[in-house]
Amino acid sequence: MALLEIKNVNVRYIMKDKKVHACQHVSLEIEEQDSIGIVGESGSGKSTLASAILRLLPKRITQVDGEILYNGRDLLKLSQEEMNALRWTDLATVFQKSMSALSPVHKVGSQMEDVYRVHFPNADKAEIRKRVYQLFEIVNLSDRVYELYPHELSGGMMQRVSIALALLHNPKLLVLDEATTALDVVTQSQILREIMNLEQNMNLTRIMITHDVSVVASTCKKVAVMYAGRMMESGETRDVLVNPQHPYTQGLLKSFPSFKGEKNDLRGIPGSLPDLSQEIPGCVFADRCPYTTERCRTEEPMLRSVNGKSNWKVACHRVGGGE
Amino acid sequence: MKKESLFHAILRVLKKNSQLRTGIILLIVLLLVAIFAPVLAPCDPYQLYDALVKPPGTPGHLLGTDGLGRDVLSEIIYGTRTSLMIGVIAASIAGLVGTCIGAVAGFFGGKVDRVVSEFINFFLMTPSFFLTLIVVALFGSNIIYIMIVIGLTSWTGNARLMRAQAISLKQRTFIKSAQAMGESRLSIMFRHIIPNGIFPIIAQTTMNVSGAILSEAGLSFLGLGDPNVVSWGQIIYHGKQYMPNGWWISTFAGVAVVFTVLTFFLIGDGLNRVLSPKMDANN
Amino acid sequence: MKRYIGKRALSGLLIVILSVCFNFTLIRLAPGDPIRIMAGTDNPNEEMIETLQKKYGLDKSIPEQFVMFLGQVAQGDLGYSYISDESVVTLISDKIGPTLALSLTSVTLAVTFGTILGIYAARKNGSWFDRFVCGISYVFDATPGFWLGLMMILIFASTLKWFPTSGMVNLRANYTGFARFLDICRHLVLPVATQVLVQTPYYFRIARSSVLQVMSEDFITTFRATGMKESRIFNKYVLRNAIMPTITVLGMSLAHLLSGSVLIETVFAWPGMGRLMYNSISKRDYPVLTGIYLVTSVVICIAMILVDILYGFIDPRIRYD
Repeated sequence: MALLEIKNVNVRYIMKDKKVHACQHVSLEIEEQDSIGIVGESGSGKSTLASAILRLLPKRITQVDGEILYNGRDLLKLSQEEMNALRWTDLATVFQKSMSALSPVHKVGSQMEDVYRVHFPNADKAEIRKRVYQLFEIVNLSDRVYELYPHELSGGMMQRVSIALALLHNPKLLVLDEATTALDVVTQSQILREIMNLEQNMNLTRIMITHDVSVVASTCKKVAVMYAGRMMESGETRDVLVNPQHPYTQGLLKSFPSFKGEKNDLRGIPGSLPDLSQEIPGCVFADRCPYTTERCRTEEPMLRSVNGKSNWKVACHRVGGGE
Repeated sequence: MKKESLFHAILRVLKKNSQLRTGIILLIVLLLVAIFAPVLAPCDPYQLYDALVKPPGTPGHLLGTDGLGRDVLSEIIYGTRTSLMIGVIAASIAGLVGTCIGAVAGFFGGKVDRVVSEFINFFLMTPSFFLTLIVVALFGSNIIYIMIVIGLTSWTGNARLMRAQAISLKQRTFIKSAQAMGESRLSIMFRHIIPNGIFPIIAQTTMNVSGAILSEAGLSFLGLGDPNVVSWGQIIYHGKQYMPNGWWISTFAGVAVVFTVLTFFLIGDGLNRVLSPKMDANN
Repeated sequence: MKRYIGKRALSGLLIVILSVCFNFTLIRLAPGDPIRIMAGTDNPNEEMIETLQKKYGLDKSIPEQFVMFLGQVAQGDLGYSYISDESVVTLISDKIGPTLALSLTSVTLAVTFGTILGIYAARKNGSWFDRFVCGISYVFDATPGFWLGLMMILIFASTLKWFPTSGMVNLRANYTGFARFLDICRHLVLPVATQVLVQTPYYFRIARSSVLQVMSEDFITTFRATGMKESRIFNKYVLRNAIMPTITVLGMSLAHLLSGSVLIETVFAWPGMGRLMYNSISKRDYPVLTGIYLVTSVVICIAMILVDILYGFIDPRIRYD
């Protein structure tokens, strides 16, 4: 059984005068000890999906339906208490803006202490401190960070603090939402390497939300490509990124320099995201796709397995189903 | 074509922004009262009638008469002109001074900024109403002085806003390119920095109108108002001597002050909300 | 930390010096001749003018006067009232107590009420309570304190007779000790209530908007993601972060309050600096006017420095250099 199974999830933002379909019919399976990268441009709904999994979307203005099964339990149906019990012990996350991820007027250590006590209310200070130091060592931070305030740390250090914080209770599933995007390349690769080391030692499953395909290529076993709130293609990294099936994936890869150092033309995909507050009858990518046919405008393509691999799925009329 | 779309944009903003909508409706009422004061007022506000301190409802005097036999309603109607004029002119002076000082501090930076900031600090810490009082007491209660003094003691908020705007605009590419093209600093300041950073000042200026009206009322209440014009503060000041029996004199004039100040608060707050839609989403 | 305090104190001193210069300039610029006012007649004889000019140093040149003035101020001598011939320092020191009693009581209560209401309203953002308090706060924000004071007197003193109309003590009763204290409290109720009503909206708005702002910060999402209870997040993290802006404005709002005291003290005949100021205005008693301005500036400066130091303790982001 998959660790996390996302089934037909829809997320809508309810605005004063319109509804925005941020995620539609999104399905994805994540096996234990997988590492999966969810890629897409900004506005593709990838961060919304992450927040939906963690149930962190503001309740008043969002509407979520579908199923998100974690070990067979639907996260969307859990009570607040049940969900809180899963948080951080099972599901942990690292956010993009790590500089503002902690309260600016409390010391790093005291905040981590507080988070530790969320699940172990009676833990004593020495015990917590020991655990935090241990984590600091893993993410390569000095112990003295414990007594510092967030503003006294650099971006890279805060990122490490955030990761250490996320690992506090040995979570099973770690969601990294653009967690390394704001860092310089050297720090980024260093941190990614540390995370991958941790995975081997700690039985960790990782979801990486990013717009940077190269990060996914070098750190993830699987990849899922999103566009305008829809899943376009998902599968093993070595399949999808080497031999992309969906025209969008192909375009996305072309807009990045090749990993092998070949000089591809760096053309972006012409056009822009469709208006997500409107109902789109056909394929969301139809407006920008070079192969659009009449059918693409009227019928929404469903995810289908391709090339005989059950975990390689593409949502396009061109592939699998014939034209 | 362009005009129409602007008009539609304004309508759209007004539809969403209830504060701005209410404020503007109230403002229109105030402006109508001020413009048509001679038509609306039942009596001449300066004329002394024989009926002294008559309560509201006295025939011919809907809101009664004051201690000198003037018609309170007419005084209040004419007072609208004074209050609006003082409010708008004083706030404009504050806007002008604050914008220039703030833009210079933010745009030039360095030592200029330090000196100006210290000066702004001084004005923030100084008991500004005391200062206004002293100046008006020293130089005389002329309505022009009053407007200038109120304006000159309330520019700090504008200066701080403009300074922040200038500092952030300075980093933008179009300013950098203007600099690279050899445009003079003064010209950049007046042609790019100020026009692009003016919107928060407009909202602040609307708030300042309220402040100025309150200050003028306060001055008049202390007997420092211009004796040659009718103003709400002076009506309250005058009515104070007839408390508690002649309660209506002060009461209604005060209500007029609250109404007017509220109007400008609503508009200012509405404009701020247009400015930062994030706050809007919270509500 | 020491350097930080030193720096704040220095900038405070600068402000006091600026106030002194301002004071001096204003008086010299003023039209009208104080001598004539002091002499009590429009046509005083020459001899009288000369004596008075000598006494107040008005016969010397402007720079000389300035140096003289500075020297006096530095020694804590603010001159003598043109009218009563009393030392300005004595006059003010008699009156500063009542003013501070009124102002500090008001500001303490207004900050407390405003902040509590603001926090609660923000928590219940969008509820009827929130809307109601926001609406009320708009109205009181737009209300001139002196007029509200008159209305309070009209309703609670003249009509209902619950409280005395004016003054600080019942002059006829001649209370002493605790009875006197109670009497002062009774006299304090209406002026304090007036001040609190017009001041509270200010703190209410600051607290409400800063709580809302903090609640939308990223770190709140972090804590939510860890499964921390909402109450814990609010009580420990939101409140602590949201209280900062209120502390920042404390010093400044004292300036407004002291300025406003002239109005409120006039309404309630409160024997403080504001009333002294009111009385000095009509008599053009310049030394008293400027003396009050100067003393108030100093009081505000001290308050600001105290607030800054407090802020330095509370907000770790303040750099002490």
